[in-house]
This record gives sequence, structure tokens and C-alpha cells, in this order.
Amino acid sequence: MTADRWLRSVGPWLIAIGGTALVTALGRELDMNPSTAGFLFLIVVLVSSLRGGLLVAMVASVIATLSYNFFFFPPLHTLSISEPANWVALAAFLVTSVIVNRLVIDARVAAERADQRRNELETLYALSIELFTAGAVGDATERALKLLGAKSSSLAFFDAQSTPELEHLQRSGEPLELPSPDGRDVYLPLFLGGKVTGALIARGTDASLPALVSASRLIGLALEREKFLEENAHVQALRESETLKTSLLRAISHDLTTPLTAITIHTEGLRRKAERDAELKDSVSGIAGETSRLRRRIDNLLAMARLEAGKAKPRREPTPPADLFRAVRENLPLVFGARQILVHVEGDCPDANVDPFLALEILVNLIENAHRVSPPETAIELRARTHPLDPNQVRIEVLDRGPGMPPGVADADGNLLAGATSDVAQRGLGLEIARTFAAANGGSLGITPRPGGGTIARIDVPAALLPESEPA
Amino acid sequence: MTIAPLMLVVDDDPAIRESLGRELEASGYTTVLASDGLAGVHAFQTHAPDLVLTDLSMPRSDGFELIAAIRATSNTPILVLSVRGNDADKIRALDLGADDFVTKPFSVGELLARVRSQLRRHSGTPPTVLAFDDLRIDLERRRVVQGGREIRLTPTEYSLLELLATNAGKPMFTDHIIARVWRDAPGTTADTVRVHMVALRKKIEPEPSSPRYIVTEPWVGYRFIAEPVADGLQ
Repeated sequence: MTADRWLRSVGPWLIAIGGTALVTALGRELDMNPSTAGFLFLIVVLVSSLRGGLLVAMVASVIATLSYNFFFFPPLHTLSISEPANWVALAAFLVTSVIVNRLVIDARVAAERADQRRNELETLYALSIELFTAGAVGDATERALKLLGAKSSSLAFFDAQSTPELEHLQRSGEPLELPSPDGRDVYLPLFLGGKVTGALIARGTDASLPALVSASRLIGLALEREKFLEENAHVQALRESETLKTSLLRAISHDLTTPLTAITIHTEGLRRKAERDAELKDSVSGIAGETSRLRRRIDNLLAMARLEAGKAKPRREPTPPADLFRAVRENLPLVFGARQILVHVEGDCPDANVDPFLALEILVNLIENAHRVSPPETAIELRARTHPLDPNQVRIEVLDRGPGMPPGVADADGNLLAGATSDVAQRGLGLEIARTFAAANGGSLGITPRPGGGTIARIDVPAALLPESEPA
Repeated sequence: MTIAPLMLVVDDDPAIRESLGRELEASGYTTVLASDGLAGVHAFQTHAPDLVLTDLSMPRSDGFELIAAIRATSNTPILVLSVRGNDADKIRALDLGADDFVTKPFSVGELLARVRSQLRRHSGTPPTVLAFDDLRIDLERRRVVQGGREIRLTPTEYSLLELLATNAGKPMFTDHIIARVWRDAPGTTADTVRVHMVALRKKIEPEPSSPRYIVTEPWVGYRFIAEPVADGLQ
């Protein structure tokens, strides 16, 4: 035992006994009256309470009361009291000393608790600073819980671990305190995203429950923050990637379209000058035709790229099929000039609820395919009507008199088979593009044999039905 | 002798700018060329052209700034050369005051038709009768005759037809149609316009499968596409 500890344990007893002896001696020597001596004895009891525990204080009270009686109340040097008034004084002294003891000891306990709270608050504050600035949740947690008196600590998540204690915590959501050889183990709920997802386990701690609960809340918040920062970094990376895709698509679109525009204008100038030269005129027509095909392919591929990059969300709006057919005519002047195209829109056919640009691309691709495989003297037919089985859909069809689809491209119901459209040699990219764009419009593409020979390519897309009545 | 209309062509790509200038001159127009929006504004102030053809994406000063600068002082028709896929840009240009657009790569024939349409709309006093192929619209008497036979239109249908036909060739925003025909009456929506447009098209289109007069303009509204029979420049 060190001198300091010895002094702390023996000191209060010395004060109680020595102080009483000293007051007695002094009182006798100075011939004090009982009132003065009583105050001095009370001071001894007070100091004993401040320095020692309840036992020291009570012993000091008893010794002081006995000394007070023995040396200061007549008859002196006896433990009897002759005058009733002195009984009252002695009783008052005893009661006062006991009350003083009680008050002093309560104040001491409260001060010690306040001191513990202060330490816990300081620890929690340091933990919050560390968690929300440094960001290393695991290390900061361990350090903080050690400061809160825990022998060890750990984090456990319900989706990774399962013990009876964790299961209880998951069910109740309330802290769980269990006795342990080191004091007590505390399982604290860990809130993430508004629900209990795991536990903070503090082993062998004597810290108050409110402080431990606060620590677990702080750690939960820090974990949420860590997760949010990770997600934010991911979103930021995605956003930058999207911006890059948009810029690239814009640049490619501009860089490919500009020379094509110049070639188209030059070709038309050349065509004007070649009016009187049949051979040159044919060559110019060939250049114009190939330029137009190239333009279509670039448009298709860019549209596919935009869809896949998520940059071109289909913008569907009511679109009359007749307007789509007209737009096809404007986009395929060479096809429409080279063969008969029959167009029929049934009178009650509703508008299609489609992205007009994507719907146009579907038709252009299907008509180009039909044109490529059909004998020159045969017509291509374009039809639009209400879907025969579903009045909420529009059916648009492209009918040709070509050789028909090779086996294995579509099933008996006309649905394209997986991988069929990848046969570039058979129908080119067109079918794949048409299928992708039809799906993007909330519709479908099917291919069926045409009675009498040829193929029917049908697109079923949502209808934009007219409201029942509108104000005039 | 009539003076050839002057076209201001603004495009940062010299191949397009110069070849377009040549084709316009071959079609009887005179041209002034500029390589960006700033040069376009300067050329516009210096030459006072009859029509402006402008690209949108240009360095230094783009087509939007040019349109805004011209619209601050003038009603000269502006035709935008837009790129497919940039529909938001096209609509923004129309919002700023552009009159029409053609999508690159365009055919010269299509461009010349749009140019003629714009020049016609901006020339002379407004006519009292509009004649298109077999359709005649008497604006004073509010009568519509097709193939010698009068077509009975409701007041709303007539107002729609008059608005579109007097702006023939120009894409008309649905919002603008609602403001002009319905005077922004509460509850009027794009569907209201669509219902009446379907009825109107059934009455005036001789072959509904192949519209000759009115078509929808994707993401904008509608356009009257027929050209008046008394045409000037070819």
C-alpha cells in the first residue's frame, strides 16, 4: 500500500478520533462553555464526513456526542446528565451531526456522479469529433469505449452474425445488459436508416447506460454518413460518366452529320449540273443513294447508342400513323420513287402513343429491308389499324412480296427468336434496331409469313385514345 | 426586274456554308456568309437580309445568341439548321423566335421549300383568300371550299384551320394554338386540340392515309404543309 493510499484510508479516522480528542483537550484547557465546544465538535464531524465515508462520519458523531457529554455536561466525567435542558442540547447535537453527515455524503455522491457524466460527455464529444472528421469508425469506436471503461468492444450486424443476444436485440430494439466477470456486458442497438441493423457490444464496462446509448447512436450516424459518402462518390462517378457519354454522342453526332450534310449539298449541286449527262446523272444518283443509306445507318446507330446510354429516353406522344407514313416517304425518297408503296390507315385507327422519331426509325428499317428483298415490280404495303384483340393498341404493318423470312427467325406466333436478329447477313441491322426501338416504345415487333408469299412485319404499340368529350 | 431576296447563311463549317451559298445562288437568291453568331449579327446589321439560315452549335457565339439578337430588333424570318437527336435545342430555338427548322443532313429541295414558305409568309399584305391546291379559305367570309364544295366546319375547327393556314409552313406550338384558338380557356389541354384536329383533318384531307394539309410536328405541335398555289420563286 502506498503512503498516499494509506493516508486516504486512515486519514479520515485520524481526523474523527484526533479531532474529537483535540477539541476535548482544548475545551478543557480553555474552560469553554458547552455551546462553543458543541460547535467545535460539529466541525470535527463535518470534516470527517467530507474526508471519509458514512461509517467514519457516524463513528465521529458517536465519539463526539460521548465526549461532549462526558467532558462538558454536568455531572462532569460521567455519561449521565443532570439537567433536562442538557439532554435537549445533546440530542440536538446528535441529530444535527447525523443530518450534516447525510447532506455532506449526498453532496459527495452527486459530485462524483456529475464528474462521471462530465467524463462521459467529454468522451462522447471526442468520439463525435473523431467519427465525423477522421471517418475511421472502427478505431474511433474502440478508443471511445475504452475511455467509457469497456474492456473491449465490437460491432456486429444482424445480416452477418447471429447469437441469442443479437436475436433478442433485433426483436426488442432495446439495450441489453448482462453480468460478466469483468462487470457487465452491454449490447446496444445500432440504428442505420431508421431501423436496428446491428449491435454495438461493450464488454466489462461500468459506464452509464445513457452514455453508452448515446455512443451507439453516434456510431450509427457515423456509419450512415460513411455509407452516404460512398454512395455519393458512386453517384458522382456515374454523373461524370453520363456527362462524358453525352458529350461523346453529341460530338460524334455533330462530326458525322456535318460532312454528310456537305456531301448531300454537293451531290445535289452535281445532280443539277448533270441533268444533260445520263451517265453522270446515274453516278450522282448512286452517290446520293449511298449517302442516304449511310445517313440512315448513322442515325440508327446514334439512336441505339443514345438509348443504351440512357441519354435518349423515349418521349412518347400521340402520333397519327398517317403522319408516320408521310414522314417515312420524306425520309426514303429513293425507295418511294423506285417502287409502288400502298398506304392504308383504317378510319377508326387511333393515334399511336410513341416516340415519333423512334417509330419513324422502326418503319424506315422495316421498309428498307422489305425493299431490299422484294422483286422490283411488287408493291410494299403499309397498314395501320386498331389491334384486333386489344383496342388499347395500334397495329402497324409492313407487307412485302419478298422470299419470306428464313426458318428460325421467328416462332409460329411471329415473335422474333432469341439471336435471330443477330444474323446480319439475312436482314442486316434493321431488324435488331426495329425490335429495340419497338420495345423502347412499350411495344413489340413480330414477323409472320404473308399469305401468297412474302412477309408481314407487324409493330404493336400503345394507342393514344382520344378523350370521350372535349369542350368546343 | 425583281431584286433577288438576300439570304444570310451562318454556319461554322466552311464546307456547308459555301456549298449552301452556291446552291441558294443557283436557285436565284443572293447570299451573305458568316462563320458564327457574332459575325452573323454583324452581317445582319450591315446587310439587312430577307431571311437568315443559321446553325445552332457554333464557337464564340452560337445560333441561340444570334436568334435572340435578331429578334430583339427584327421579324426577319429565321430558319434553323438543327442536328437530329438535339430536339431540345430545336425547340429552344423556336421558343427564342426562330420560324422553322430543317434537320441535318437535309436535302436542298426540302430547304428551298422551307425558304419559299418563310419568304411568302413575310412578304406583302396579308391575303383575304388562301388557296392551296383544291382547298380555298375565304378569310373575310370564313368559308372553306374544297373541290368546288363548301365544307362545314365548327367555329373551333375554322379557327384552327385559319391559324394553321395563315402560318403555312411554320411549326405551331400546341400551347400557342391553345392561346390563340381557345384564348387559354381553363381546362384546355393538348388532348382538346387533338380531338378538334382529328375532326378537322377528317373534313379537309381528301385521303386521310396520306395527309396533304396538316401534319403533327413531333414534340412541337402541328404544321400546315401545303404550299399556296400562287407561288413566287421556284
